[in-house]
Amino acid sequence: MDQKTRDDLLNLFQSKLNEAMRFYLETCTRCGVCTEACHVYASMGQAKYIAAYRAEIVRRLYKKYFKGRGKFWPSVGEAKELTEMAVEELFEAAYSCTGCRRCMVYCPFGIDTQMIMSIAKLLLIGANAEPEILTLLADTSVEKGKSIALFKEGFMDGVKRLEAEVVAKWQTEAGRTAIPVDVEGADLLYVALAGAHSIIPAAAIFNAAGENWTLSFFEAVNFGAFVGDPTKTRLILERIVNEAKRLKVKEVCICECGTAFRVMKQLSGKQPFKVSSITEVHTRYLREGRIKVDKSKLSGPITYHDPCQIARNGGVMDEPRYILQHLTDDFREMTREPKYNWCCGGGGGLVALGEETLDFRMKSARVKVDQVKATGAETLTTACENCHTQLSNLNDHYKMGVEVKFLSSMVADALVR
Amino acid sequence: MQTLIYFILVPMVYIAFATFFIGTTLRLVKIFREPKHPATLQIYPEKKPQWLWALHDTFLFPSVRRHKPVLWVFLMLFHICLLLLIVGHLELFAEFEIFQIVPHEVFLGQGYVGLIIAISLLYFLFRRFKSPVRDLSVPEDYYLLILLFLIVVFGSEMDWARRWYGYDVMTVEEYREYLMSLLLLQPYLPEAVTESGHSFMLVLHIFFANLFLIFFPFSQSMHSFLSLPMNKLRRG
Repeated sequence: MDQKTRDDLLNLFQSKLNEAMRFYLETCTRCGVCTEACHVYASMGQAKYIAAYRAEIVRRLYKKYFKGRGKFWPSVGEAKELTEMAVEELFEAAYSCTGCRRCMVYCPFGIDTQMIMSIAKLLLIGANAEPEILTLLADTSVEKGKSIALFKEGFMDGVKRLEAEVVAKWQTEAGRTAIPVDVEGADLLYVALAGAHSIIPAAAIFNAAGENWTLSFFEAVNFGAFVGDPTKTRLILERIVNEAKRLKVKEVCICECGTAFRVMKQLSGKQPFKVSSITEVHTRYLREGRIKVDKSKLSGPITYHDPCQIARNGGVMDEPRYILQHLTDDFREMTREPKYNWCCGGGGGLVALGEETLDFRMKSARVKVDQVKATGAETLTTACENCHTQLSNLNDHYKMGVEVKFLSSMVADALVR
Repeated sequence: MQTLIYFILVPMVYIAFATFFIGTTLRLVKIFREPKHPATLQIYPEKKPQWLWALHDTFLFPSVRRHKPVLWVFLMLFHICLLLLIVGHLELFAEFEIFQIVPHEVFLGQGYVGLIIAISLLYFLFRRFKSPVRDLSVPEDYYLLILLFLIVVFGSEMDWARRWYGYDVMTVEEYREYLMSLLLLQPYLPEAVTESGHSFMLVLHIFFANLFLIFFPFSQSMHSFLSLPMNKLRRG
């Protein structure tokens, strides 16, 4: 690696060094309490998958270039030079970590491994060594934000075609659109994913609750966050923030997508609207009696997988359980506490990388499979697109024999007048 | 030899304390002056009041208690004894009435504080010899534990000799004379400190303690100051 490249990469590293990052890089005592926290280590047993080991890959570079020790006595902390080899190690560490932050629960200091991995991801982008497809997807999202007019017509046509299916689930009153788009002054802006499954059940429930809502032009998913590019993350986020401001909505509701929810909720700053997950909104409708569901529509034991970015990292834990109380009498918990729920193994962009990561995803999530099996549930439900895809893959691969369902579509299926 | 002993007992102590205080302050100032993270770093569910839970996490290590109970016992013993040792050393400077609320003889702990801390350190060291902690450890972790063990062993031996074997050549008064003279910048070495049979232990104790203090600001020992703000971030 030539000096120029290295300097550029170190500048990127420097840009990540805020107060919290310094805490995390200075403090680790390598006590090993985090050993059992990572689902990859628990499933595969290799030391390189322990949270502290991953973090140390980044920390060694920090010790080399950002601490005086790196010059005088590099060996004391095994400080390491930034080389091609180091970049490969960074890739291995960053793209085997799903950013679930389960290790943060174990750490006596609360070190955030996901945040340390964000340095690794940024350095990979700088070294042109990141998974290209994630950057391409992020660029497409950014582009869409810039030239919305180009996409508008195709989008409207697509939405029109879905309306019949929404009406089939819930008959709207005469004169009301089944999927309202671009409604200024709506109360709620719903940000979905590109896919009918993310729009139809949600629309039916909004209509059933008599919500004054409108569908966003943009898909919720933030590929900038997956690939770890702070600038693109912000651009993709701002598309939605701007749309919400333009339509003067009171609330932005994010579909079942963990990353999208956490980015929107925690990175959008102070805004005139509030941010909710669709699970929270459905809980509210049930509490206020705006929708009614019928337990007899579903049968068999049901368990719920907590999406890391929504539950442990987003705080939505009681709401899905409240909804499930209304859907079944046989709900089975996977863990004693939701914050200890295993990651499905699909986060951090791994599912978005598709076939490329399939083998690793299946091997690294064995503990999740054991956990689901132990509940004896026939239906496995969750509230995140990535988790849903990964759990479905696990279901096929390990022949778990469960049905993997979105929580929102279960609510939609159980709707009654 | 005399010069070397003098160097360790006087100038090196000043160097060590200066490095420790200035180094630690500068490093903390540098870290705390960095911009704050723009988003919350909280883990849910949230419990209020957050600052109280952050204190709880910092001083009682609940996650260690849950996942590594044996380690937790030794960690608690080690850190409690460390606090007692700090109190014990302050009493070697002068009498503090506040510490005598629980009446005790100086040096406190009847020798057991040092013994417990030495055993804890051996446990911390030996657990690093075994995978997976071994795979995580870097030289710094071993050096610090070995250094602390040496400090504790030589320090405690002086205490044990007085307590358990009735060796009474070096008295508390002589320690106070020596340490206060250092504090008042008029260094003076009483004969018992440099000439008695156990003075080599004192010299080695102080030598290793000096090394530790010099290394402190640049090592993972900084967790003693950073643990609370980090735990606060996790609690939100």
